[in-house]
Amino acid sequence: MIFNLRNTIILFSLVAIILMGSMTIYSVTSIDVNYFLRFLLINIIVILAVALIFNQINLNRILSFGWILFIGNILLVLSVEIFGNEINGSKRWLDFGFLSLQPSEFMKITFALFVIQYLRFYSFQFTRFRTLFLLAVLFLSALPIIIQPDLGTGLVYILMGLMFLFICGVNRIYFIGMSVFAVLLSPIIYSFGLTSYQKGRITSWFSSDQNLSEKWNILQSEISIGSGGLAGEGFLNSKQNEFNFLPEADTDFIFSIYAEQFGFIGVLLILIMLACFIGLTTLLSMTEKRLTSDLSPYYIGTYCTLVIGFSFLLNILMVSGMIPVVGLPLPFFTKGGSSLLCFSIMLGLIFTSRGFLR
Amino acid sequence: MKESKIQTYRFRTNLLLILFLSILVLVLGRFFYLQIIQGENLKELREQNINAFEYIYPKRGRILSRDGVVLAEDRKIFSLAIDIEQKPSGESMKVLSELFPEKINLIDLKEKVSNSLRYRRSEIILEKIAQEDLAKYLVRGSDLRGFSVIEGYEREYNAHPSIFHVLGHMGYINSTDTKYFSPRIENYDAKLWRKVGKSGIERVYEKQLQGEHGKKYFQRNARGDRRVTTDVSPFQEGEELFISIDYQAQKLAYELMDERRGSVVVIDLNDFSIPVAISTPSISANDLRDISSAQYQDLLNDPSRPLFNRAFMGLYPPASTIKPLLTVFALNNGYTDWDETIFDDGFFRFEEEERVFNAWREGGHGLTDLKKALVESSNPFFMNLSIRYEKDLFVEFLKSSSFGSKLCEDCYPHQFSPLIDDNWKYKNFGKELYKGDFINLGVGQGYMLTTPLHLSLISGILANKGNYQLPFMVTKKSNTLNLAENLTEDDWKKLNDALVDVIYSPNGTGYRINAGGLMLAGKSGTAQVVDINSREEYDDVRSNELLRDHAIFIGYAPYDKPRYSIAVIVENGESGGRVAGPIAKKVLEELLDDI
Repeated sequence: MIFNLRNTIILFSLVAIILMGSMTIYSVTSIDVNYFLRFLLINIIVILAVALIFNQINLNRILSFGWILFIGNILLVLSVEIFGNEINGSKRWLDFGFLSLQPSEFMKITFALFVIQYLRFYSFQFTRFRTLFLLAVLFLSALPIIIQPDLGTGLVYILMGLMFLFICGVNRIYFIGMSVFAVLLSPIIYSFGLTSYQKGRITSWFSSDQNLSEKWNILQSEISIGSGGLAGEGFLNSKQNEFNFLPEADTDFIFSIYAEQFGFIGVLLILIMLACFIGLTTLLSMTEKRLTSDLSPYYIGTYCTLVIGFSFLLNILMVSGMIPVVGLPLPFFTKGGSSLLCFSIMLGLIFTSRGFLR
Repeated sequence: MKESKIQTYRFRTNLLLILFLSILVLVLGRFFYLQIIQGENLKELREQNINAFEYIYPKRGRILSRDGVVLAEDRKIFSLAIDIEQKPSGESMKVLSELFPEKINLIDLKEKVSNSLRYRRSEIILEKIAQEDLAKYLVRGSDLRGFSVIEGYEREYNAHPSIFHVLGHMGYINSTDTKYFSPRIENYDAKLWRKVGKSGIERVYEKQLQGEHGKKYFQRNARGDRRVTTDVSPFQEGEELFISIDYQAQKLAYELMDERRGSVVVIDLNDFSIPVAISTPSISANDLRDISSAQYQDLLNDPSRPLFNRAFMGLYPPASTIKPLLTVFALNNGYTDWDETIFDDGFFRFEEEERVFNAWREGGHGLTDLKKALVESSNPFFMNLSIRYEKDLFVEFLKSSSFGSKLCEDCYPHQFSPLIDDNWKYKNFGKELYKGDFINLGVGQGYMLTTPLHLSLISGILANKGNYQLPFMVTKKSNTLNLAENLTEDDWKKLNDALVDVIYSPNGTGYRINAGGLMLAGKSGTAQVVDINSREEYDDVRSNELLRDHAIFIGYAPYDKPRYSIAVIVENGESGGRVAGPIAKKVLEELLDDI
């Protein structure tokens, strides 16, 4: 591993984000210090372990299992319908005793692996058929997620999948076409049941007894964020959390609690570190002299970096009321095995593809 | 080919990175807006989230009579409620239902508890627990987690039925009440009040009596669970109200009525306050408190109308008792003097219309002057006078004797005696007043109707030589009115003498009252039951008894230095002198005894 300034900044930013994430989780869920240490430890161990494992395995070997992993993942998503735990009216978790996993989270990764394996076979030569085939696979594989029902994860999966195809070089005509199509079609999709479906899902998500509306959640989230002011209320001083006014404070809405505790300065810091991590990692790949005939590691690496970056931003856009509430985890903040494992794997893939640790 | 792939990759990655950084800047802007620009406002909202308060219901003010008897006060009561902080267990529900088997049904209780927990509302299980039940509960208190005893207040009235109409009653607030109180009470918030005054003093003095809510501040979480009480500001008890009613006299007057329908109203001429105002029959004010709507309907449909306040609302023909007032009118306008005589043969012939009016005494009173006409109550004399009355002056005089206007600001509900003028007759009969009408009006019959309160005031006007003020129970409205400037001291003395002779001369219609040392002056009357305010409602229950004349008496005492004026009406009591007079005598004796 080369410890130049850039790599040091990248690693420092990443560690800082993970540390802040763990601290915020701790402040929301428990006052027990042991719990905090355990959580931090598990977080770091899992990330390091996954990163190391993936680093040891040759990326090419992983990629050769691409389609098997992808089909296996789809089967797992489908099996949730049969074996899954139903939580608040939505089946998306598989219970493994020590860990409950949400297989749909991993679709983002396995789809990318599948695409790479497929394109490699054809030396990344796109034909209309191959492009349409990949798009069809993307949209069809999103269906089992959407019917779980988990519209948020499904939509993010499609968006990220499209982003990956974009990185891989699919002709821009398709993206322009799809954009036009989406704009024209959106009123029809909107009026045909999506709203009531979405509403029903959101209310079933957040309400135990009370009739909480989406609006109320967003208001409470904005109240938490705004209460932080410039400097924040201080660590462990979130009143919105103490008095339970913010629903889902330990999962989707955790960033609001972070903002209440650390204020605008804290938000600024974490966004700067995010920009450093994402920006520097992405730029790295482009300035690298070793861009060789096989671009697939760079596709994968850039993709994983941007998925982490955009997931982060989408979640923050959601909690600050700029996009509708769709259940999106915040990388390294959200308590939950699936997202932790998923983002750890992505880190591993980033490191593997970049050869940081070599 | 290879180069172009790399170029495409670089270009697209850069594009995505720019997109990423743009969104990031946008997010930063959003957080700047929320945290720096809106920060204070949102923090305020957070405090509102957490810090809440609830109202503490105030204790209503007491009402006391002028002789210091408590007529109404708020009494502390205890109720058993569900404590939503400590969920009641199945075991404690069972224990509770076994403790009060006839009051609590286990199945109902379970449903109440589950509703209560669902809506986070502390529901009441037993309202107004009796002392022994409270003791029973407290002994088992430790087995009964999830329930708590809460304090409240309940209006408790002096049980005597004589005071019901004056005090009024409380009831659950409705839109009519809100409409009534909103213009009268500043910043009236109807949502804060459960029960309000529906009639009487309770209604008129709602503002003074109601008091102010206290506030209990506490912190709560999103589910509404109370955490810590942070501050308490106690409620302000409503004002204590002394009313002019003399409880002893009031009670006596009610008992003297002895189940007959009617009313007694006394005015204290020192300040024109009302020490006695009863209406019979009546009920105990407590009876209306927990009454069912069926029972309430029964009371409304009762032909004797116990809920109707005859003292302020009942309209009766004053009959002969109006004669002294009309004497003042006639003297004031020079229609007659004390020397004019007529021959009363028991009839009055109205030549213009060729009608003959019978007087009450067969054969008449013979040669009659004004004094004799008053003492023996000669109808022909006053009928003869009344054909001289000029319409405008007559109406003007009635107006200045407070016909057609509100008499008493704190009497509720209140009815004024109608002002009989052309308008009134047009409205009711489509014609104007003509001469013949005055013959009946002149002897207090026909269209003339007065409330007992007004009759008592008329008696006061006579006693006070034409000067008077409007009567009241709590708040005095002091502007002295005068209705007869042309009367001399001598006229007033002669009028007073005549009214004394009514009681003390053997010919007087009130001689049988046997007033003795009371020094009573007065005038009796016997009103034909032609029309009372509620005639229609009486129609279907009319029996012979109900066709009998009303007995009326007005008077004042002591006649040399009048202190109290009185009006007594006994519906279908037949003789004013014999039936109504003795009641007036005893009530005035009771009042004057106190001095």
